[in-house]
Amino acid sequence: MATKWRLPSIDVPMTVSALLLVGIGLSIVFSATTVPGQHEGLWAKQLVWFGFALLAAWLAAAIHYRLYDTFAYVLYGISILLLVAVLGFGTSAMGAKRWLELGPLKFQPSELAKIATVFVLARRFDDRNLDLRRIKDWLPPLFIMLVPFALVAKEPDLGTSLSFPVILIAMYFWAGMPPGHLLLGLSPAVNVALFFVTGSLLWFAAGFGLLLMVVRPKWPTLVLALLINGGVAYAVPHMWDHLHDYQKRRIETFLNPGQDPHGSGYQIIQSKIAIGSGGLVGKGFLRGTQKGLAFLPMRHTDFIYSVVGEELGLIGALTVVILYAVVILRGYRLALRTRNGFASLMAVGLVSALFYHIIVNILMTIGWAPVTGLPLPLLSYGGTALIVNCVQLGLLQNVAIRRQEY
Amino acid sequence: MQNYTQERQSKETRYFVLVSLAVAGFALITVGLLNLQIVDHSNFLKLAQENRIRLEVMRAPRGAIYDRNGELLADNYPSFNIVFRPLPAESTQRAKLVVDPRWVREVSRLVEEDSTRITDLVLKANRSGQTATLRQNAPFPVLASVEESRSEYPGLEVVIQPLRRYPNGTLAAHLLGYAGEINEKELVERAEQGYQAGDLIGRTGVERTYEEFLRGRDGAEFVVVNAMGRRVSTLSEGPPQRPDPGHDVVMTVDLQVQKAMEEVMAKVGRGAGVAIDPRDGGILAMVSRPAFDPNEFSRGLSFARWSELSSGGANPLLNRAIQGAYPPGSTYKVVIMLAALRSGVVSVASRFASCFGSFRFGGRSFGCWKREGHGSLDFPGALQHSCDVYFYQVGIKLGLQRMEAAALAFGMGDKTGIDLPQERRGLIPSQAWYDKRWGVNGWRKGTLLNLAIGQGELLVTPLQLALMAAEVATEGRPIRPHVVKEVRGAPEFHVSKPVQTGVAADPAVWAAVQHGMELVVESGTGTAARVQDVRVGGKTGTAQNPHGNDHALFVCYAPVDKPRIAMAFVIENSGHGGSIAAPMAGAILRKLFAPDTSSTEVAPVPLPIDTSGVVRGD
Repeated sequence: MATKWRLPSIDVPMTVSALLLVGIGLSIVFSATTVPGQHEGLWAKQLVWFGFALLAAWLAAAIHYRLYDTFAYVLYGISILLLVAVLGFGTSAMGAKRWLELGPLKFQPSELAKIATVFVLARRFDDRNLDLRRIKDWLPPLFIMLVPFALVAKEPDLGTSLSFPVILIAMYFWAGMPPGHLLLGLSPAVNVALFFVTGSLLWFAAGFGLLLMVVRPKWPTLVLALLINGGVAYAVPHMWDHLHDYQKRRIETFLNPGQDPHGSGYQIIQSKIAIGSGGLVGKGFLRGTQKGLAFLPMRHTDFIYSVVGEELGLIGALTVVILYAVVILRGYRLALRTRNGFASLMAVGLVSALFYHIIVNILMTIGWAPVTGLPLPLLSYGGTALIVNCVQLGLLQNVAIRRQEY
Repeated sequence: MQNYTQERQSKETRYFVLVSLAVAGFALITVGLLNLQIVDHSNFLKLAQENRIRLEVMRAPRGAIYDRNGELLADNYPSFNIVFRPLPAESTQRAKLVVDPRWVREVSRLVEEDSTRITDLVLKANRSGQTATLRQNAPFPVLASVEESRSEYPGLEVVIQPLRRYPNGTLAAHLLGYAGEINEKELVERAEQGYQAGDLIGRTGVERTYEEFLRGRDGAEFVVVNAMGRRVSTLSEGPPQRPDPGHDVVMTVDLQVQKAMEEVMAKVGRGAGVAIDPRDGGILAMVSRPAFDPNEFSRGLSFARWSELSSGGANPLLNRAIQGAYPPGSTYKVVIMLAALRSGVVSVASRFASCFGSFRFGGRSFGCWKREGHGSLDFPGALQHSCDVYFYQVGIKLGLQRMEAAALAFGMGDKTGIDLPQERRGLIPSQAWYDKRWGVNGWRKGTLLNLAIGQGELLVTPLQLALMAAEVATEGRPIRPHVVKEVRGAPEFHVSKPVQTGVAADPAVWAAVQHGMELVVESGTGTAARVQDVRVGGKTGTAQNPHGNDHALFVCYAPVDKPRIAMAFVIENSGHGGSIAAPMAGAILRKLFAPDTSSTEVAPVPLPIDTSGVVRGD
């Protein structure tokens, strides 16, 4: 009986879905770059990258995750240094410094930082005596998240930087922070967001009052929450009023680049036309029209889902969504089933980051999220992204193989 | 064990929450897809089939520039470009156009441009989907014929582009600077700031320093066009973004003073003049010769013309008022006098060895500009007659360090912080500077004598000289020279604080310096700047330079009892300050304070005293 339990077993549905997604990605990259002139033959390059990605995924799965646990802080330290290096002498593209160039290789340290942050948080939260209602337990992880978050936001890469708070929130929750306290922690961010959306502080005040009544936090927590929110409520409108017009504009474009019709506003409209014109069954593989000319820029990278929607229609687009759903849901299931605390927490962090990328990219192509420059995992053209995504999946398989271990 | 089960249960609840969130996210995408691909499918299909969406830029006007009284100095006017807009992708017309040489020939005749150029532009436009400009700033006859036959040539259109206009031509050209069309490199560098191809960008002068305020933000809207490329309606998706016009800028410049200065300097080959209000540091006028016409840049400049303007000895683009560095000559005696009096090494009544035309020091003879000598003078008298021998002796007593400190206090040797680009610092040499240049013992005390009469390695800008006069007028208050006093619609704009900390000296010291400067104009070397019933303080200067004839300099301020204007002139290679530069100041002052008696003619005046012989100071 024991031998049967110990048989190494990867998660089959997740693996199959991921392979199918990569396959669809390769075909769509092929289709999107058949327009003569630019980017010809990129699909072959992507295929080579996929070879490397499989190797990396295998490595990530083969090494026992205990090793990641042990070296979590080392990896985190390295990735922070690299992020600082990017700000110093990174390569600029479209006004942002995101890449480090190592000879022919280009590398985005923010991707490494994401994985390293997951390791460190999983290591900290894997503790029998953890009580996330206590400041000494929840505050250090917050700073661990804020350092890479701030460095990546400074590049500026708002889209990627937001995956750090997403990871933290998911892992707080998984590690047992009561939902009420989690909401309390999120309240300053909600406060600012609601102010910008509604222009009034009343909405937030009402919701916050309700939350306090339900959660009934202890005195120190209550005072802290009130102080921070009071400060934010006072400072944000004042700071906003004191900014120069052009500074306001800069912030607005930073938060929502899609507002600018010259740049990404144009892309969103073209993307919507592409997807919408695909209809139920699509125009057929290689038959898309919007990808031609300049009508659908970045069609093989950030906007690849638009080509899926145009050529394969609702059926193809939904198939992709379902495949992603399988990957994500199997990932969370893995987190539930695995016995080791570190492995379980790591799985939740990785899956949540992946989920965030998928949702934000697809919502962007249908015009429901701002253009943030996030590629679509497994589908978009791009070597580093593909390798990193496969490593993430490899780490999940790592958990799957050893799910019976404590 | 019970604890374990409890935890297990709570894990499952958490798992359920996470899964629900994920499912909700994917469901949201599904709703979005259904909305686009089923509900709005036919609408989008129509748009896609003809790809009739076009982005139309609505240009935001650049802010205008006014003088302090609201007189216009720069604004915009519409010019007309003939462009080719690529036709929709599936248009059959389009395929024909690209290959049809007859079409190209006819269009080329119509817009009066080379046919190979037209072919290139149209091919490129069709490839990229971007609009190509076939002819910029087209004259009216060309416009008329294009408008007439537009229906025969699909894709051909006339668009309006705002151009910059400077109604006064070369007047205040260096202050205003110029704005030109943004180039490819700038577009890349300023990608984040929302510049579009075809936008204007400030290159020099106020146009450059106030670019952030002057520039507007272009608006844009999506329009639906028909198969011929004609506009049918505005797209409801994505609301139009209104253009956001640039802010108007109000300068401290007074057009009346500027005009007067331009007139008196009309015949100057190379040189500069600056007028500043000592009360607040606002620049009233600034002239640099030779000048350029900023309108030339709006119309588009050939490369040959540009290199002609920007290089060579004349270099009309150079603003000599802030970028020209000159030896101050005897105008520097004002600084020396203040330094000597405030440190107490010389008193007002001090008389040194009489001037017999030269002074022996360290085995060398240092001449006075007046060969027959000035005789015995007190301090104000020495300034009045600009006696070099007197100042040699002051210089020896004063020493290098005190001279340097006073010059720096006046704001020399450093940027004044004026809101114009690329101001020069000038040079006030220090002990360390000489040691480095000539070795610790490599230079002699004779250097002090040269410095005391404003010669040697000293370099100052005309603006720094005007600032010096303003400092004397206000008894050493810190002053921030600036050219813009207000940005309309931007209340947060304010004039920056002074860079320098002011010149510290007793009122009695200031009174003596002011008295000396008044004597200069009343009955000294600067009588050409005299104005009836107005007390004027001034100082002449004649700076030797190795490259040719002397530079003529003059600084002044008026009225002495209630100063409203301080000025400085440097006229290159033209002769004596008293006969060349002082009359210019005089003409301007008379125009401002005694308009009835003024004449705009400025002729060199003979100096009241004989100037034959070796010229040293003035």
